[in-house]
Amino acid sequence: MRSDRPPTPGKLIALEGSAAALLTNGCRKLAAANKTGRAAAGVSRWDASGIFFEMGMRASGAGVPSPKTLMLLHAADLSFRLRWELGPLLDQGRHVVAAPYVESYIALGKAFGVSRRWLADLFRFAPPAAESYRIEEPASVPGNRQSLRSYLDNSVDLLNGESLVWDPARVRAQVLAYLDALERRGGCRRLPA
Amino acid sequence: MSNFFPVAQRRQLRRRVPALLKKQESKRGLLIAFEGPDGSGKTTQRKLFQDWLKGQGHKVVMTKWNSSELIKPLTKARKTAQALSPREFSLLHAADFRHRLETEILPSLWRGRMVVADRYLFTALARDAARGLDLHWLMQMYSPILWPDVVFYFAVTPETSTQRVAADRTPKYYEAGQDVTGFEDPLASYQEFIGRVIQEYEALALIFQFVTIDAEKSIHEQHKLLRKAFEQAERRLWTEWNADALTEWLDLRSRMPEAVLEE
Repeated sequence: MRSDRPPTPGKLIALEGSAAALLTNGCRKLAAANKTGRAAAGVSRWDASGIFFEMGMRASGAGVPSPKTLMLLHAADLSFRLRWELGPLLDQGRHVVAAPYVESYIALGKAFGVSRRWLADLFRFAPPAAESYRIEEPASVPGNRQSLRSYLDNSVDLLNGESLVWDPARVRAQVLAYLDALERRGGCRRLPA
Repeated sequence: MSNFFPVAQRRQLRRRVPALLKKQESKRGLLIAFEGPDGSGKTTQRKLFQDWLKGQGHKVVMTKWNSSELIKPLTKARKTAQALSPREFSLLHAADFRHRLETEILPSLWRGRMVVADRYLFTALARDAARGLDLHWLMQMYSPILWPDVVFYFAVTPETSTQRVAADRTPKYYEAGQDVTGFEDPLASYQEFIGRVIQEYEALALIFQFVTIDAEKSIHEQHKLLRKAFEQAERRLWTEWNADALTEWLDLRSRMPEAVLEE
């Protein structure tokens, strides 16, 4: 029987972290645990807009972005995800997992030396998540064991261009330290990998 | 791998910045921004002004809105597909501006070049606010703002802007503001949208003390006014106006490879 009642808005679930494979596993778990009827929760991942894919295809002489420029691009991608993935599913009453979400971007920007205040203002357009998790992950993930490249790896590559200014291991360590502090403050819960 | 710039070293740099800026003040170039709605004739005036500056013996660098080699292809593809929301439009333009600021505008000023900007960040503030975005959020996105020494604002009515644009071309989807007006007719949409943009511009002109040029006057008259206003204008001291923007850039420059931020 059809109901004319508007659907109850869905729940936005943030999953923060740094390693692509672990985030993917975490998404699967959260999606299965947050079904609406028979439907698993939707999932929204980084670079749905294709901005970063296209950045990877750019001509070598076009230069490299600075950390702030990079974060503006992450914000544009998140805005796209909110418009095309997160928003529509929530409006349909479905739950949806966003991985990564705002805190991961703030952590990343901070690791690149951008001020937290500027980052918090930049991502102010994103609605707060109803539930926030951070995926449990080791402090370092050896490069050759990573089958998927994350937003973090891609960002480090973009900033580095052909040089080696930013060390991915150190950036990752700073992102994880930020998420640890967030967890300690009660800003997110830990999700086993 | 050089990676992170030590905090102590950054603090030391920040302490040195005021003296560094004071020393650079007499050597640096001036930043002159040309703002106004489409059809206001600012590009014509910008070219005349640029030639005049060169005639005065200055080395001039020109920077155009939405022209960063790095970001423009992203924006262009999405504009063609009409796939941008106002916020995405705004964020990509901010990325484009920031890239040019850090790699073209600031290095040129530092080297003593005159930088003439055919549209500056006020274009984004006016257009994006006309699209309904929060002005405070927009200004934060561009912060710390590098204030130009002079901003020339070419003032026309929405009717004049529409007539001049219509005589030349059919405005494109985003130029016409069709993403926010919902009008199917590009010209009708343009007139509605440019009215909102001009309102925002006029508020900005007042708040930020632009030099307003009556763009309904003849080309020659405007050019004369422009020269006179420029000669009377006082430079905005970096230490007073732009210390934050310069500190951020010097900090960035000290951490980036030379290829990115050339001397």
